[in-house]
Order: sequence, then structure tokens, then C-alpha cells
Amino acid sequence: MSEEREIQEEQLRAVRTGHGANCSSIGSVIDTLFATATVGAAVFAAIVAALKREPVKVVGKDEA
Amino acid sequence: VIIRYEPWGAWVKLETQAAIVALDRDGVRALGLDGGRAWEGTATRESAPIEVHMAVTARCGAGCEGCYIDARPDGVEPPRETLERELDALAGAGVFTVAFGGGEPTTREDLDVLAEAAISRGITPVLTTSGLGLTDARVEKLRRFAQVNVSYDGTGETYAMVRGFDASAAAERAIERLAAAGVRVGVNVVLTRASFPRVDETLARARALGACEAQLLRYKPAGRAASLEYLARRLGGEQARSLGPTLRRLAATVCADGDFHVRIDCALVPFLSADESIAANPEALARWGIFGCEAGGALAAFTVDGKVAPCSFARSSGLDATSLSSHAGDPELARWRAHVAAPPEPCASCSLRTVCKGGCKVVASYVKGVHGPDPECPRVLDAAGVRAS
Repeated sequence: MSEEREIQEEQLRAVRTGHGANCSSIGSVIDTLFATATVGAAVFAAIVAALKREPVKVVGKDEA
Repeated sequence: VIIRYEPWGAWVKLETQAAIVALDRDGVRALGLDGGRAWEGTATRESAPIEVHMAVTARCGAGCEGCYIDARPDGVEPPRETLERELDALAGAGVFTVAFGGGEPTTREDLDVLAEAAISRGITPVLTTSGLGLTDARVEKLRRFAQVNVSYDGTGETYAMVRGFDASAAAERAIERLAAAGVRVGVNVVLTRASFPRVDETLARARALGACEAQLLRYKPAGRAASLEYLARRLGGEQARSLGPTLRRLAATVCADGDFHVRIDCALVPFLSADESIAANPEALARWGIFGCEAGGALAAFTVDGKVAPCSFARSSGLDATSLSSHAGDPELARWRAHVAAPPEPCASCSLRTVCKGGCKVVASYVKGVHGPDPECPRVLDAAGVRAS
């Protein structure tokens, strides 16, 4: 375990929003690309807040 | 949050909002966590997919002319126990999302049970349907899905020009029914030469019916669409080049209030190379998690006969779906990943390379007969001296 610190936005390499529900090819939300910097910052801030708030569960043990 | 360690940090799925985040090692440490074995040495192991598309039936009576799996009314339908074992494999690999498709998945009577089976394994289930025959009773079985997308290429003749018959009214009823039942509903819009000019109108209509999202899909030559008709139906060269401005316009209109979103599929990403502003800033695409060809990487498909494929349009590998954890050793999946890791020119020098990942190999294989650069990418066409038409 590491010591808990504040997560910085630059530590988020990528953010994929929404669920998407197509079964044939993978999709990505694109309209956010054209959003204002303020809107973009709000999305990232909300995600950083959620990362700190939610309990942690680790998956993919078959992969480790 | 649900965390899956990767050599570079971790994929993180949020549970209180719909988002998946790639967090670097420092970010993971800031959560008080450590990647352990995944971070040891110079680990470069191949990552498992984060999203898998699972064909839960090959049965469908719609008869769409471009069906990518050639689904038919008498198509096979795997027993639930088989699909549950495949869900076990997804859970073991740490896959975040499973998209049920077919065939027409709502022909199954046990969709609610399958959705619950995914959720109980920590996997988010979503689903695609044509919406045909979607009764209130069937809507009830879809309540546990995080999102349901209805195939909706446009109104009346636009729908018919894509699928060969007009079932747009049924699709519209399905969107309304799902929205009224409180199921999060989106639409899948296949972009062809005929449907592209009406995309603004189609998305506005979908939103008015209750959809919260539209996913734009490139028409691909697989299944029944792998015919000479493909060449007449695919987007024209100028249409492909205008994707960037089109998306910018949609963002400023139908998406302006933030209550409706537009997605593009992996195969549309190469068309963004024609947009100077987007091509000059690939970091923005990466930061917003835009995926190009992730076949065999972040994406995999489970075929109806229980095999792993790089994506739903590609031939399956020899790997059993229940053995997904052995994905790194599968030669077919490795072949797809190797091309992405070291693509030939003109992809090698493209600013979008790390996002686009060489465009759609299914299109390349059909049109050019090689697993190579996407022959419909504007940049590839320019490099070959081919004028848009």
C-alpha cells in the first residue's frame, strides 16, 4: 500500500465517459472534445472527486 | 471504484458515474494503492480487453442487408450456462463492460438473468437491439442493463436505404418505450453515403424520442455487407473528410446543453486526420479516451460459437472464450496487436497514430486484401495520390 495523496489531473491519462452500448465496434464520446475548457475541467474535477470517494475493489487477478 | 492494474498504472471504473479512467502509477499511489506484480521490473504484459462484445444469439428475423454476422431466423443460440461460463472468463480477466448483441438479443427469454449474471460478476452489461418486436414485457427484461442502444439510421427512406426495409417506426417506438420505462437508451446510427447527409436530422429526432446518446458507426464490409454493394454504400471521400466539421456542428447543436452525447466508433477515427485542428492535437483525443482500432487490445469479441475474435467484424481466433485469460499467447490476437505497435507508412508518421492505430483492418482486408493501412483514410488516400470522390 502507498500513502494516500491528492490525485492530480495530469495523472489521469485518459477519461472515457458514458457507457456506450454498441455491440459491434467500440465507441468513444467525442462531443466533449469540442467543449469549453471550463466544461472539460469540471468533468475531470468530478472524476477526481469520485476517485477519492468510492471504495476500492481490485479485479483482473487472472491477469496479474 | 473497480481497479485493474496495468504496467503503466491502472484502468479504473467508477461506480457512481459512468466513466472509465486510465490512471498513471502516481495517480494509483495517490489512492493509497500499489500495482504489485503488474508493476514489477519492466513488465510489458499484454493487457486484457476492458470491453467485450458478446454475441448471445445468431437468431434474427429482421434480414438487414448489411448484417455483419449474417444473422438468420434459424440462427444458433448458445445455452445460458455457456454464456455464464464466458462471463466467468470476463470477470477473471477484469473486463469492465460486456455488450450483448447478436443476432437480435431480445429474442432470448433470459436476458434479465444474463444481465444479473454480469452484474453479480462486477461487469457492466449493455445491449444493442433493432427494437423490432420490443414489447413492454421485453422492455421489463432490459431494466438491469446500464444502457440499451437501438439501431436507428434515420427516418423512413433513410433507414430503408441502410437496411433494405423501413422499420424506422418500430425503432422509434422502441426508443420511446425504453425511455418511458426509465431505461437509459441510445441509438446506433450507421453512416452510409445515403444516411450521412441526414445525420443532424436523425440525431435530433432520436433525442426528441428520448435517446441520451448516439453512436455513429462506419459501414463495414463484414457478413452480408461484404459484397460489391459495400463500395456503393460506404461514405464518399468528401463525406469522410467532412467528419470533423460534422462532429463540431453536432457538438454545438444537438449536444450543446450537455444532455445528449455523440460517440464515434473506432473505425471513424482515421477520418479525423482530414481535420487540421483535430490532427494537430492528438493529445486531446487521447485525454478524452478516444479509441481507434483496439481490436485484440482494449476490445475483443466473443462469437456465438464461443471463440475470441479481435472484434465483432474480424474472423475468430482459435482461442476459446472461456480461456480469455490466455489472450496474450494467441497468435491471431498477437498479429493484430503487432500491426498497431509498428504500422507501416503512411500510418507510422501520422500525428493520430497512437489514437487511430492504423484505422479499420476489416476494411483494409476487404478492399485491399491486406492487413494494412485503412484504404479509405483521407491521409492514406493523399499519400497514394488518390483524389477524393
